[in-house]
Amino acid sequence: MAKIDEVKAQVEAGKTKLVPGLVQEALDEKSAPNDILQAMINGMKVVGDRFSAGEIFVPEMLIAAKAMAKGVEVLKPHLAGDAATSLGACIIGTVEGDLHDIGKNLVSMMIGSAGFEMVDLGVDVPAEKFVEAIKETPNVSLVACSALLTTTMPSLKNTVKVIKDSGLSGFKVIVGGAPITQEFANEIGADAYAADAGAAAETAKAMVN
Amino acid sequence: MLTRRQNLLETIRGGNPDRFVNQYEAFECAPDVPMFKMLFFDPYTMSNPFPAGPGAPDVVNSWGVTISWPANVPGPFPLHHDGLKVLKDITKWKEVVKAPNLDFPQEEWDKYKPIAGAVDRNEYFATYVVAPGVFEQLHYLMGMDDCLLAFYEEPEALKELIEYISDWEVRYAKLICENYHPDAIFHHDDWGSYKSSFLSPEMFAEFIVPAFKKIYGFYKANGVELIIHHSDSYAANLVPFMIDLGIDIFQGCSTTNNVPELIKKYGGKISFMGDIDNGVVDKEDWTKELIEREVRRACETNGKLYFIPNTTMGGPMSSYPGVYEAVSEAIDKMSKEMF
Repeated sequence: MAKIDEVKAQVEAGKTKLVPGLVQEALDEKSAPNDILQAMINGMKVVGDRFSAGEIFVPEMLIAAKAMAKGVEVLKPHLAGDAATSLGACIIGTVEGDLHDIGKNLVSMMIGSAGFEMVDLGVDVPAEKFVEAIKETPNVSLVACSALLTTTMPSLKNTVKVIKDSGLSGFKVIVGGAPITQEFANEIGADAYAADAGAAAETAKAMVN
Repeated sequence: MLTRRQNLLETIRGGNPDRFVNQYEAFECAPDVPMFKMLFFDPYTMSNPFPAGPGAPDVVNSWGVTISWPANVPGPFPLHHDGLKVLKDITKWKEVVKAPNLDFPQEEWDKYKPIAGAVDRNEYFATYVVAPGVFEQLHYLMGMDDCLLAFYEEPEALKELIEYISDWEVRYAKLICENYHPDAIFHHDDWGSYKSSFLSPEMFAEFIVPAFKKIYGFYKANGVELIIHHSDSYAANLVPFMIDLGIDIFQGCSTTNNVPELIKKYGGKISFMGDIDNGVVDKEDWTKELIEREVRRACETNGKLYFIPNTTMGGPMSSYPGVYEAVSEAIDKMSKEMF
C-alpha cells in the first residue's frame, strides 16, 4: 500500500499515534502535501458516510477526527498559503438557550476535516454574537447553527433571521439538530439543512463549491 | 376495572389489560410531589444542590459538577466551559473524583420514610427516581467529547472510574432499598442520540453492561419488582443488553427505534414506553389534532401488549404547558376505542 493510502486508512481507523508518523513518511517519499491532505479529507468522508449509515458511532468519529488533526499538525508547515483552508471559514455554534455541544462538535470536526477553517462560538450563542463573528472573521463562506431542543427551535429561527437581516453576505447558513427538519429549515429561511455530521460536511462542501 | 398497577402488569406480562397504560400513571405514586410525582426524597438527594427550576441560578452539585437549568429548557445540564470540567485528565481520576458522602445518621433516612409509606401500593408502584446514571455521570464529570474519546484512549482508567461510580451507586441503592422499599426504580441514563446509540453495541457491552448488571442486579435482588430505564433516544441495538440487565421497560424509546418491530421481536422479555417523540408533539405550535394523530399512530401500530404510549420525556411533564395532558387525553380516547 502506498504511504498516502496508509495515511487515509489510518485516519479512517482513528490511529492517532500512527497518523503523524505516516504523514511524515509520505512527505519524505515526496508525496505532495495537498495530496496527503486530500487523502485525509477522503478518509474522513468515509468516516462520515459510515456514521450516517449507522456502521460506526460517535467515539469512532471523534478518534478519526483527532487522528486527522494530528496529521494536519505535521502537514501544516508544508502546505502552501491557505491551502488547508481553501473552502473558507465556517462560523459554528449552538443557539442561545441551548447547552448541547456534542452534535455541534461533531459537525465542527467533520466540516473542519472537509477543508474549512472553523470558528467555534460554543453553546448558548446569542444571534448577535454570530453576526459579530461573521464581521470579524475574514473569508466566511458558511455559518452553521445547531438547536437540539424543541424549546430552542424559536431561538434557531431568530438566529437565522438576525443573520439574514444583518445585511452581511457572501456566506450560506446551514442548520441542524435533533428536532430540525428540512421543512423547518426552509420555513426559517436557512440555505441548507443537514441530518447528521457526515451529511453536514458533504452539504457544506457542495454549498461553497 | 384494574388498578393502574395491575393494568401495567397485565400489559407487560402479555395478559389482559383493560385499557392502555396512560404514560406515567402507574408510577405517579406521590401526586403532591412537584414534577416527577415519584419518590426521590432521601438525605443524599435532599442535600445535593440542584437548580430550583428553569432559569434558576447555576449550582455545583455533590460531585463538583456545575449544573445549569436555562429558562425554557426541559431539564438541567452540566457545564464544562471556562475550566468548569471536573475531570480534565481521566488518568488522574483517583485524585480528582470524590463520590458524595452517603453516611448520614439513621434519623436523616427515617425523616423521609412517611412519604414512601403513604404510597397506595395497590394502585401504584412505589417508584424511586435515580439520575443521572453511570454513563451520564461520566460525561457530567468530563464533558461528552473527552468522555467518548476516553473509551479509545484510556480504556483502563475509564473502566476504573466506571467501577468507582457504579460501586457508589450500589451503596446508594442499598440505602434506598433498606429505608424506602421501592417497588420500581425509574433510572435515567441516556445511551444515545435521536438516531444512534452513543457507543457501539460491542463497546457498550464491554464498558457499560457490567456496571448496570451490578446496579440493576442489586435492586432486583432486594425487592424491586420493576426497572424502568429512561433513555430518550435510539437504542434498538442495545435492547438485547437491556433484557440481560433485567430492564422491564425501556422508557423514552423514540420512533427512530421502530418500536412495532421491537415489540414483535422482544415483546414478553421487555416492554417499550414512548414512541411519541417530544420533538414532534412538544413544541411551540402543538395542536390537539397533531397530538391525537401521533397517539393514534402509536397505539394502532404498537397494539395493546408490551407497549405504553408516552412522550419520550423523562418524567410526567412537557416543555410546553398542556402537551402532557393532551397526550393523556388522546390515550384515554384510544383506550375507549381499542379496548
